[in-house]
Amino acid sequence: MKRLDGRRVARTAVQYRLLVLLVAVAIVGSVTIDDFLTFDTFQSILNRATVVGFLALGLTPVLIAGQIDLSIGSILSMAGITTIGLQPLIGNVPAALAGVVVGVLIGSINAVIVVAFKISSLVATLATLLIFASLSLLLTNSQPVSSPDAVFGIPLTGDLLGIFTPRSAMFVVAAVLLFVWLRFTPSGRNLYAVGSNAPAATSAGIRSNGYIATTFLISGFSGGAAGVLQSLSTATGSPVAGAVLLIPAITAVVIGGTRLEGGRGSSLATLGGVLALGGLTTMLEFNGVPSYTQAIYTGVLLIILITLDRLVSNDSRPASRTLRRERVEPTTPRETRRNA
Amino acid sequence: MSETTALVPRTSTPGTLFSRVSIPLAIVALVAIGAFISPSFLTAPNLVNVLNANAAVGLVALGMTFVAVCGGLADLSVPANVAMGALVTLGAQHAVGPFGAALLGLLVATAGGVINGLLIGYLRINPIIATLGTGSVLLGVSQQLIGGGIVYGEPSALADFVKSSILSIPIFVWIFVIVAAIFTPLLSRTAFGRWQLAVGGNYQAAEASAVPVRFTKASAFVLTGLLAGLCGVLLGLSNGQARPIVGTGYEFVAITAVVIGGTSLFGGSGSVLRTVGGVVITALIGNLIILSGLPTQSTGLVTGAIVLVAVGVDVYFRRKAGRE
Repeated sequence: MKRLDGRRVARTAVQYRLLVLLVAVAIVGSVTIDDFLTFDTFQSILNRATVVGFLALGLTPVLIAGQIDLSIGSILSMAGITTIGLQPLIGNVPAALAGVVVGVLIGSINAVIVVAFKISSLVATLATLLIFASLSLLLTNSQPVSSPDAVFGIPLTGDLLGIFTPRSAMFVVAAVLLFVWLRFTPSGRNLYAVGSNAPAATSAGIRSNGYIATTFLISGFSGGAAGVLQSLSTATGSPVAGAVLLIPAITAVVIGGTRLEGGRGSSLATLGGVLALGGLTTMLEFNGVPSYTQAIYTGVLLIILITLDRLVSNDSRPASRTLRRERVEPTTPRETRRNA
Repeated sequence: MSETTALVPRTSTPGTLFSRVSIPLAIVALVAIGAFISPSFLTAPNLVNVLNANAAVGLVALGMTFVAVCGGLADLSVPANVAMGALVTLGAQHAVGPFGAALLGLLVATAGGVINGLLIGYLRINPIIATLGTGSVLLGVSQQLIGGGIVYGEPSALADFVKSSILSIPIFVWIFVIVAAIFTPLLSRTAFGRWQLAVGGNYQAAEASAVPVRFTKASAFVLTGLLAGLCGVLLGLSNGQARPIVGTGYEFVAITAVVIGGTSLFGGSGSVLRTVGGVVITALIGNLIILSGLPTQSTGLVTGAIVLVAVGVDVYFRRKAGRE
């Protein structure tokens, strides 16, 4: 067994990669920046990570179920412009609720397309990505909408208990709730079964379609919440706000260890991934690294983590088998593959 | 392997009939609608223009067909490789001349494709994650190369050539047609193409049949990198300037064209000719939207809806055929 020690060390490092990453950011940050390790910095990192964090949280159950949702960015944009656009008509709080409702509605459209029409989630949400990105540009004539009540959203980013802001507290609470559902309830655990092998789960009496549909409702809700929070905090509804957030959100989820192959993942790990990514970004920014260079670090980090993960795992399945098992009734393999 | 030549169906079910006639039918329908909507639609300058404007992204779609066919899902690093091709082509002109710079641009973008190929083919990383990562890195590098600004090219014989026409058909369109004419038989007639289809159809079975599965999968991404680079080189030369955002959104347009053409994103079936059809359809839709006076922002709405309908009908017929 001694020969395997290097491999075991690597595996342990990958297993605790979030911890390694967070400690590394903390050490490098405190060496290069004065007063980096303070509650203030933590508060600001968490607050700024909230929007991407909600998107990443919403993606987590979708990925656990072995699906993907590319439309979350468009959902965010739609929810944002709905909220700001409706503020003068129906008041601040109802407008915010309407934003979330729009998110859930788009999520339910995704769910219907994937579950009822049997279109794979990659293609389905690519289409809804295009449709709702286009619709939000149409509704706003490609111009950002300004809020008539700019002060309403300011308290969202105010101080709460020294380390939170109201909106980042919502994010953490949502992550914990999602964790409790996934980890401690039978229905949450069933979701992992659906993601590992949907036909087998169906044969075992789990209503796979229902679970898959639910995950799209969750990602719609989270995308809606992210859009409402972002638009209220900035007092602006931008039709292109979500376009740039899809990639950071997927990165955060993957850094947390949730797999695109389905059947594995955790919302607390996603919370950690969001924090690690936010911490890294903030540290680089404090060091004066331009934002386009940060993309290099983020990308390299993503590639290294996923490569290590692949190298130390004994899983020799081809990676792209993922997303192909979108059909949930028991079928022959040959039929399954045609179902794109 | 009967599915590989989907254009020549063995049996005649509604599904195979649909899959055979849908693309020509859609093109004819779009042309008919166009002729009805606007008198300027069915004129040579307009049609040439439509093709010219979409030839660049069409090149990317040709490469993306291989990625889809071999089960590689999609290459999301396309915008980065397009940007690299364009920026290097213009930025290196001082140092190595226009021809050398264009070659260098192609080379750099192909190198991006090689990295994707190594990660996906040999390390077997999920293609979506791998190309997200490499795309993010390469786009960052390209922005750093020029400090986040814009690069201007110098007038050159090569740039003039790219902007010119032969037989009143622009060079862009010629290049697209030539590349499509090379790649169509490459996928449907050669051993290399059969490997792509076999790997996408059943990875384990292909591996057991001594198909070089890793090489095959990697090469699809190298091809896409090369074609994205070619797209970038041509755009850079014809625009005379380039920014890192030059290829933004091209990955989705290319995937859309592949899907509308009827190639499955999950591998095992598809053809380059179908993607050419998909490119023409998306191009005509964009043109019709402009000519009919609809806001240009609605392009995504219409394209997305068509993707859903095309794939939905296809899935419906296949399920029906499967049951019978």
